[in-house]
Amino acid sequence: MPAAVALAAAALLGAATGSFGVCGPFADVNDPTFCPYVLEILYFGITTGTTPTTYSPSDGVSRLQMAAFLSRTVDGVARRKAPRASLRQTWTTQNALALAQTSVGRTPKFLEADGMDVWVSNTGESSISRVRSANGNYLETWTGADSPGRVLVAMGRVLVPGATLPGRLYSIDPAGSAGVVTTVASNIGQPAEGITFDGGRVWTVGGGAVAIITPQAAVPWTVTTITTGFDLPVAALYDGSNVWVTDDGLNRLLKVNSAGAVLQSVTVGTLPEQPTFDGTNIWVPNFDPPSVSVVRASSGAVLATLTGSGLLGPVGSAFDGTRVLVTDFTASKVWLWKAADLTPLGSFPVGSGPQGACSDGVRFWIALPDSGKIARF
Amino acid sequence: MKRGTPGILGSAGAAAAALAIGASASLLGLCGPFTDVSDPVFCPFVLEVFYLGITTGTTPTTYDPSSYVTRLQMATFLSRTVDGVLKRSRRAALRQYWTTQNPDALGVTTLASNPSRLESDGLDIWIATPSNSSVSRVRAGSGNLLSTWTGATSPGGVLIAMGRVFVTGTLALGRLYSIDPSTPAGAVQTLTSNLGSNPGSLTFDGGRIWTANVASVSIVTPGAWTVTTVTAGFTNPFGTLFDGANVWVTDAGAARLYKLDAAGGILQTVTAGGGASNPAFDGTNIWVPNADENDITVLRASTGAVLKTLTGNGLSLPDTIAFDGERMLVTNNGAGSVSLWKAADLTPVGSFSTGFSSSPLGVCSDGIHFWIALNGTGKVARF
Repeated sequence: MPAAVALAAAALLGAATGSFGVCGPFADVNDPTFCPYVLEILYFGITTGTTPTTYSPSDGVSRLQMAAFLSRTVDGVARRKAPRASLRQTWTTQNALALAQTSVGRTPKFLEADGMDVWVSNTGESSISRVRSANGNYLETWTGADSPGRVLVAMGRVLVPGATLPGRLYSIDPAGSAGVVTTVASNIGQPAEGITFDGGRVWTVGGGAVAIITPQAAVPWTVTTITTGFDLPVAALYDGSNVWVTDDGLNRLLKVNSAGAVLQSVTVGTLPEQPTFDGTNIWVPNFDPPSVSVVRASSGAVLATLTGSGLLGPVGSAFDGTRVLVTDFTASKVWLWKAADLTPLGSFPVGSGPQGACSDGVRFWIALPDSGKIARF
Repeated sequence: MKRGTPGILGSAGAAAAALAIGASASLLGLCGPFTDVSDPVFCPFVLEVFYLGITTGTTPTTYDPSSYVTRLQMATFLSRTVDGVLKRSRRAALRQYWTTQNPDALGVTTLASNPSRLESDGLDIWIATPSNSSVSRVRAGSGNLLSTWTGATSPGGVLIAMGRVFVTGTLALGRLYSIDPSTPAGAVQTLTSNLGSNPGSLTFDGGRIWTANVASVSIVTPGAWTVTTVTAGFTNPFGTLFDGANVWVTDAGAARLYKLDAAGGILQTVTAGGGASNPAFDGTNIWVPNADENDITVLRASTGAVLKTLTGNGLSLPDTIAFDGERMLVTNNGAGSVSLWKAADLTPVGSFSTGFSSSPLGVCSDGIHFWIALNGTGKVARF
């Protein structure tokens, strides 16, 4: 090391050393057992101390202070464990020019990720496309899926409801060669559009009914159709305990039991669309008037109704582990919120008429039906 | 209204006036629902812990901001914080909140032979199939059987390390096989035939590979692939793991778990159960399935203290346990089922069939799914 550099380095070290107390910067923490914990929450940004050189280790913690500590803990952990952090992808895509896009089939409205690939429902040509998540490569297209709806990845398969009359359920084995989808049920009473899975059974919604479909070793799978309590159900999710259904006719988010009976009816906005569960709360985009309802899954309480200047027609939603993305069909944008505290992160143009959204755990994917593309956000 | 989305067109006009923000509005106080939080600097923090479900307030409209927190309340807040963070996992981003309920809901890949042990490299699953002396590679995302490597006589445990796949050869003169995953499938490379007798499980400490053998532990140094075999103190070593600081070895014969030093000497002995088999580390605790006693010993890695012995929850000849970041899954070789626990608080999640005569053995996680070797049916299953 050159002498001048060595001198400068020594001076810097001296300056740093000069700011150190008994435990890091803190002069009042002298218990060597607890010092590492204090230092971790200092370096992690959970505490700043009571002054730059004191931590006040014996003081009690008020509930207000505790809220700050816990909130910063959640944020710090979430930031570090997000795959985006280790991939150095800390940005938010600002506009359509910065989007990476992949051409798929005609009118792709809905999509879902399996962790490796993204599966896209091309509603304009009765097909399902497969795109590699990591590089956006278009891989293949499966045909024969008339009027395909939303997409579910479960049981090692890709499942898509058909909004035909009667409704259908299509299945794709991703280990097989691309070809014609397998129709595993063709007697769903009503056209099916939304879909979810509870660990044992597939649920489809659409056309005024909810169908519970039990997988069988051979086709066809058994179907139970329920109409009581529903008007125009359009989408569904499973929160680990219950299936929830958005109903466009009732303008409600409906919690249903294992038999499909409505357990709870939550008033949300008008024309609720594809909901998303963030592990604690359910986010419901309401199309018109535009808003997003945030509902506590454990109680059904509406925590907040989010609006924004320029939010015109929210339809799709997805959660990436830290953020909730909502597609705005009318404004040709996507909106982002921080899931933990519901703070808005902004809205960003993505091109005409975005609809479905999903996350592969690293990035969001958005369906752009008008251009026949899907975009990595 | 021009989306053309099924089920929406007819209802738009009638429903347009029904936007119900009343419930939300009624919750609003000075700071979210709370009327007693007036400090704008702290309000965002209070709201975050409220929206995350960490606090519910002292009443629906009060937070009591100036009261102190008791240690009991603190335990509740911290527990909910940990749970809230863990729930926001990769599975959450993929909307996969379910627990697979029955064999018909498993995603399965059929192999040419019966699988025993398996491990994930993050992209693929590598599976030992002893009856045809091979190692199969399955793509985790799709379940595709990609390729099969041959020449691995009596393959035992599987380890992913150093950009390679290592497999033990369970022979009297134990072997260590190696696969380079970047090359076309072919015959495995035999690195050494000088391990202790009948090695099974293996682990890596960042520099050396450790194998658990009948009555010994072998330490293999890459490069020259030299082997040191240690016998002192061991009866029937079975499972191995490295917790970031030490190698641990279960001893099925002695019903013990040993913490080893860098030379293979026993630093600490923990009493487990009979038939202590293939353990897993969850980042804090070590979980040891005890096959002969149908229970699981959970111990603190930092101290060796046994925290709890888990029973029930369908345990039947528990063989191998794995951790997916949130849950522990153990295979019940005797019952054709798996049992799950929440790792953070050791509460049972349930027991679920993997099929008649499925005889599950090995299990691993790819970070999204558990993968289970169904030894009885010649398949691997995504759970």
